[in-house]
Amino acid sequence: MDTVSSVELRKMFAEAAELVRSQNEVLSRLDSQCGDGDHGTTMMRAMEILEGATGSSANARSLSETLREAGWNVMGVDGGASSALLGSFIAGMGDTELGDAADCATMARCLESGLQSVQKRTKAKPGDKTMMDALVPAVEAFEAAAANGDTLGEAMKSAAAAAEAGAASTRNLVARHGRAKYLGEKTLGYADAGATSIALLFHGFSVALAKTEEN
Amino acid sequence: MQMKKFINDPKNLVKELLEGYVLTFPDKVKLSGPGTVVRAVPKGAGKVRLVTIGGSGHEPGLSGFVGKGMLDTSVAGEIFAAPGAPKCVDALRNACKGGSSALLIVLNHAGDVLSANIAMESVEREKLPVKMVLTEEDISGPIGDRRGLVGCVAVYKVAGAAAERGASLSECAAIAGRMADNMRTLAVAVRTATHPATGNPIFELGDDEMEIGMGQHGEAGTGRMKLKSADETAEIMLEKLLQDLGAKEGDELLVLLNGAGATTLMELFLVFRRVAQLLEAKKIKLVRQAIGEFITTQEQAGFQMMIARMDPELIRLWDDPADAPFFVKS
Repeated sequence: MDTVSSVELRKMFAEAAELVRSQNEVLSRLDSQCGDGDHGTTMMRAMEILEGATGSSANARSLSETLREAGWNVMGVDGGASSALLGSFIAGMGDTELGDAADCATMARCLESGLQSVQKRTKAKPGDKTMMDALVPAVEAFEAAAANGDTLGEAMKSAAAAAEAGAASTRNLVARHGRAKYLGEKTLGYADAGATSIALLFHGFSVALAKTEEN
Repeated sequence: MQMKKFINDPKNLVKELLEGYVLTFPDKVKLSGPGTVVRAVPKGAGKVRLVTIGGSGHEPGLSGFVGKGMLDTSVAGEIFAAPGAPKCVDALRNACKGGSSALLIVLNHAGDVLSANIAMESVEREKLPVKMVLTEEDISGPIGDRRGLVGCVAVYKVAGAAAERGASLSECAAIAGRMADNMRTLAVAVRTATHPATGNPIFELGDDEMEIGMGQHGEAGTGRMKLKSADETAEIMLEKLLQDLGAKEGDELLVLLNGAGATTLMELFLVFRRVAQLLEAKKIKLVRQAIGEFITTQEQAGFQMMIARMDPELIRLWDDPADAPFFVKS
């Protein structure tokens, strides 16, 4: 059946965590071009929490509850804006009622409510060289694919591709938000660490769902 | 260059530094939870509690100002990173226990403001009596987009004194707001610091350069120039500050010089000497002053200069007794 249940959710976060772990040093290096170089560390801690919250012990709670609690715990990572916004995204995903298993259309609403929760917190928009450069196109791509009747795996693949393209586009952008904006033109030539993380997250989701479809 | 710092596992840095800090001042402060420093002896019930939040690596800031006459609670984040909203919510809930109310003082940095806003929404849903004041006095940015620098210490001091005197939450918030509105800060850096968890320099600066407008985390400013003397630097910075504040003859100023970590007291005294001379020449009264390391950035070299226009009430509150580990007034 083409749905996300707690099993798929666990796999999605496990894949994403694995990717972030493998790219942790890249993330920190990107962040040290435009920030204080701790983004990889923050993301590792956040992913550890997400993996734990959705892990096998995440027993009887509903998917929405799991996401809300996981998001709140990610905010508790104390990693500054990155963890506050990533936490808002995850917790916001839980604002959509998912039941025990979410189909593609429900997942689209779920991602949209996550995005809205982030947009409530930050004025950053695509083009500002932040995580929004990956997050906004990813959610939009997923919604378009869902509306098109694509499978979950296909929709997530589109979202991951859009996030990756969005993250890559930040190389040519000048930071206009957060601590990096004080560096102005000096941020040209480096991808934004936050956007890169979001691309990894969606890539992980996509890999997990692709594996599920294969089985 | 290889980082040369006495640390253990970087993962435990903040936990260990806070444990060491409260062990140093056991009669004044204690940990009430991970990353949260409170007074060893809580303030009397019913009085307004002052809570602040901010990243670590700036010692003695911000937890160094928890104590009688100043803060009640400091919520510390990771190195240079804001604490998360959950901890802030816990701190505010605890501060409001026993019929007290809380004033949350937040330095304007993206992460801190995010966590503070999320926390405020949460405590407002619970109908807890909490107000928030933002400090944003760094004149290197345009109005509406200014960072909070060392001026927070003056806000802690006057609002803390008002709270000890039994002022209401609204009164404390008004005092804090008045102090915040009347202060201006400018920072200068001459040498970078190493991020203690990553080992990377937090910015690059030429050997013969200084940068005016540098933020607390090495955020670039706008005024990169060749290194100047103490007198010249004092003149450039004070002039910008006075202009931004609109200070005029007869005004009464508090001046605070904050060493960034590696700048010596010797240098700060030279700078302060020139500041005092310039103010005298302009017939602006230097009514109070403080020099030291309040908020540092590791071994960064440079300093922050803060000026604030004072009125009789602010001066009285500034003079009230305080007994925090890193700010004492008797």
